[in-house]
Amino acid sequence: MIYDCLIIGGGLAGLTCGIRCASNGLHTAIISGGMNSLHFSSGSIDIAGYNTKGEIIKKPFDYLKTMIKENSAHPYAKTGIPGVRESLNFITGKFMEEGINLNHNNDMNHFHVTTLGTLKPTFLSQESVFNTDVADIANSHNKIAILNFKGFRDYYPEQTAANLKKNSMFKDKEIILGDISLPYYLNTEKNLHEFRSIDLARIFETERYLPRIAEEIKKASGGASIVSLPAFIGIRNYKTIRSKLQEMTGKFIYEIPSLPPSILGLRLDNALKNSFINLGGEYIAGERVVSGSIKNNQVEFVTTRNSGNIPVQSKFYVLTTGSFFSGGLAAGFDNISEPLFGLKVKGENKRSKWYNSNFFDRKSHPFLGFGVETDSKFNPVSGSGKTIKNLFCAGSVLSGYNPVSEGSGGGVAVSTAFKCAERIIKEIKND
Amino acid sequence: MIKIENISFDHCIKCTVCTMYCPVSQATHLFPGPKASGPDAERLRIKNPELVDSSLKFCTNCKRCEIACPSDVKIAELIQNAKWNYLKIHWFRPRDFFMSRTDLVGGIATLFSGIVNFIIGLSIVRIFMHLFLKIPFRTVFPKYEKTTFRRIFKKELRWSQSEYSKKVIYFHGCYVNYNNNSLGRDFVKVMNALGYGVEMKKEKCCGVPLIANGYIEKAKKNAVYNIASLQKGGGDSKIVATSSSCTFALKNEYSSFLELDNSGIADRIEFVTRFIYNEFLSGNIPKMKPLGIRAAYHSPCHLERMGGVMYTLGILKKIPGLELVVLNSECCGIAGTYGFKNENYDISQSVGKSLFNLIDKAVPEFVITDCETCKMQIEMNTKYKVLHPVTAIAMALDIK
Ligand SMILES: Cc1cc2nc3c(=O)[nH]c(=O)nc-3n(C[C@H](O)[C@H](O)[C@H](O)COP(=O)(O)OP(=O)(O)OC[C@H]3O[C@@H](n4cnc5c(N)ncnc54)[C@H](O)[C@@H]3O)c2cc1C
Ligand code: SF4
Ligand code: SF4
Repeated sequence: MIYDCLIIGGGLAGLTCGIRCASNGLHTAIISGGMNSLHFSSGSIDIAGYNTKGEIIKKPFDYLKTMIKENSAHPYAKTGIPGVRESLNFITGKFMEEGINLNHNNDMNHFHVTTLGTLKPTFLSQESVFNTDVADIANSHNKIAILNFKGFRDYYPEQTAANLKKNSMFKDKEIILGDISLPYYLNTEKNLHEFRSIDLARIFETERYLPRIAEEIKKASGGASIVSLPAFIGIRNYKTIRSKLQEMTGKFIYEIPSLPPSILGLRLDNALKNSFINLGGEYIAGERVVSGSIKNNQVEFVTTRNSGNIPVQSKFYVLTTGSFFSGGLAAGFDNISEPLFGLKVKGENKRSKWYNSNFFDRKSHPFLGFGVETDSKFNPVSGSGKTIKNLFCAGSVLSGYNPVSEGSGGGVAVSTAFKCAERIIKEIKND
Repeated sequence: MIKIENISFDHCIKCTVCTMYCPVSQATHLFPGPKASGPDAERLRIKNPELVDSSLKFCTNCKRCEIACPSDVKIAELIQNAKWNYLKIHWFRPRDFFMSRTDLVGGIATLFSGIVNFIIGLSIVRIFMHLFLKIPFRTVFPKYEKTTFRRIFKKELRWSQSEYSKKVIYFHGCYVNYNNNSLGRDFVKVMNALGYGVEMKKEKCCGVPLIANGYIEKAKKNAVYNIASLQKGGGDSKIVATSSSCTFALKNEYSSFLELDNSGIADRIEFVTRFIYNEFLSGNIPKMKPLGIRAAYHSPCHLERMGGVMYTLGILKKIPGLELVVLNSECCGIAGTYGFKNENYDISQSVGKSLFNLIDKAVPEFVITDCETCKMQIEMNTKYKVLHPVTAIAMALDIK
């Protein structure tokens, strides 16, 4: 009844930690209220995309050394560079077991195309976003088709095209814009759904209309050999669907992340949850931890919205509740805090220092760098200044890095969570 | 007037994550999904109730949308409220009327159980029900018992209960009373093994099927009756229920949906696995012998919403010799009386399909779940017998 490891927050960090602990046989549970930020992400995992000047990093693992040197409080300084690599190998292995290949570009970053048509450096992507062919095909062919599903509200191919054209890599390419449609699904009297990415993904998921869709793609894409679609070509069976479509059309099918909900992110989330549950982990969804009790510098128990008088207890706890967006950090009128344990937080209390006036500032916003302060082992410090030994923190609840300006969110989440799990496994073994 | 407690729709960030997890919008394009039917439409509905559309009837109230929502919007509650508060139905609907009167129908059917079970099993009767009552032909109705659990309790079980120093009040619900007496017996056995005597108060159907079928006033009447009856005497003894849906109604929906004051009982109401968990946690674990079975566990939607799965898993893992395969969380599709209606049959089957596949893949000997309608649905659609967690414990207590 007392867990070995109780993880609060089921995002990329919480799930990575949970999978590592459960795969080592620990009695592990994840309590997670509400879905995590993978549902809003590109579905690619960034490690280090930009340096402090905002320039693009080609070889992230080389750059990590500089990063750590410049900022000794960076989470990567605490995981160590081999730790980052080990954790990524571990998690890509788990994704593979669940049928998702995450590809990298020979240990270098690659670009993925955003909804807006800008290019973002990232390290690991699904094969519809990056594989070894994509660069070759893009370089050797002159025509690209950017297609949309007629009636889909969350994507504007014209915008993607206009922004791509500004980029030197695409300056000389011919971009064909077009729509595909399935008339039956546009009969709004029969169909009340909203035409968000999830509705379309479900149509693809049935595999019923693929020949028809393939015809539409051929018709709309002219002579282009690369065809991009917003990412909705299926959820669980997207690999089959993609290869069938490629076969039927003779074209390379590329996916561009759409506005939320993100299907690329959903695939990752599904895979991680499956993996965790199959390893015997308990995933408690829709439940929120409301507070934690600390006594003698140890977490005694936590209370959830429904636990009432029954304390939820574990030998070790991991806090992976995310940043402000997910509720791991809270902002008051003129203060920021960690709401569950009242942990010491690093950041600015003054509201005017939280953000930059330019929304798309390359330096991003200071608030994204705020977070919980920890020692080198990821143990946090309580409000009264004492290190809490049986509580670890990982992922975007941490301070010391800015996921957006650095392009490091996914890598920090995976590597810090993995490190926490390793520590817990070791301590339990020594017990 | 906008009620201040009902403005959670304003917290919606329009991310559509709820619709990603709605099993019904996965199964049919006729349902616009929780986001569109919940927070989106609510903003219009509070201005003009006529804007409510008939597609709301597709919602099963499984509450998976609420579990998924990152902003804590009470989506299913908004839909339920809109469905019945604005869409008042006055005409007589024989099927829905009888289906939701579980205690009236159950009371009569147990008196003539032999005949009733025989008749509802006949093809000709099922064809009639399909055509005239719009109940799917393939529905297998739960069998009615020869007697009610209350009578059994009165005749056989009541006498020994005063031997125990501690006591619980048992809310058995309609299903145990009319369709599954043995779960009631198992409950008494397990409570006694934990050192608790069992007492029962007068009770009416908790109201869940009434709410689901739009008989809100009748549900309120039952709720008022139950609150008064359970409140009387009993001190601070826990009121324990074996049905997760009854528990959810008594503890939450009486106040949140029916807007009644249940504060006198809410804190004392416990779902049985949580109650047992607490006992186990304090070291009160009765002697159980190894079961030697492999079972798949399915977590019912409403139990998930109550945060109760943790407790069920906690106690199941304490049963020796129970090899447990915990299934990935999926809705079974029955949703109380929903799947027992012609117009919902295909949706219900399509929703449940992934769960049935998961069960088959797990190759268990039994399935374990906390909810009676999940049990009916799984037994209708797979070859496995479904046990309640309490029954699993009772089995382990019985082994000599
Ligand atoms: C919109 C957005 C897009 C992003 N896109 C990318 C990307 O494309 N690539 C990339 O590498 N990084 C991206 N990031 C960076 C991101 O921070 C990390 O990649 C990573 O997903 C963070 O994971 P996490 O587990 O730390 O937190 P989250 O994913 O935020 O998960 C936190 C979880 O904790 C739960 N929770 C919070 N409080 C409680 C509580 N009290 N009780 C129970 N549960 C609780 C939340 O409901 C949530 O499910 C993005 C971030 C955001 C916000
Ligand atoms: S999940 Fe919640 S916040 Fe997102 S669209 Fe649905 S109701 Fe709104
Ligand atoms: S309660 Fe269930 S069926 Fe209704 S909208 Fe929410 S997820 Fe869909």
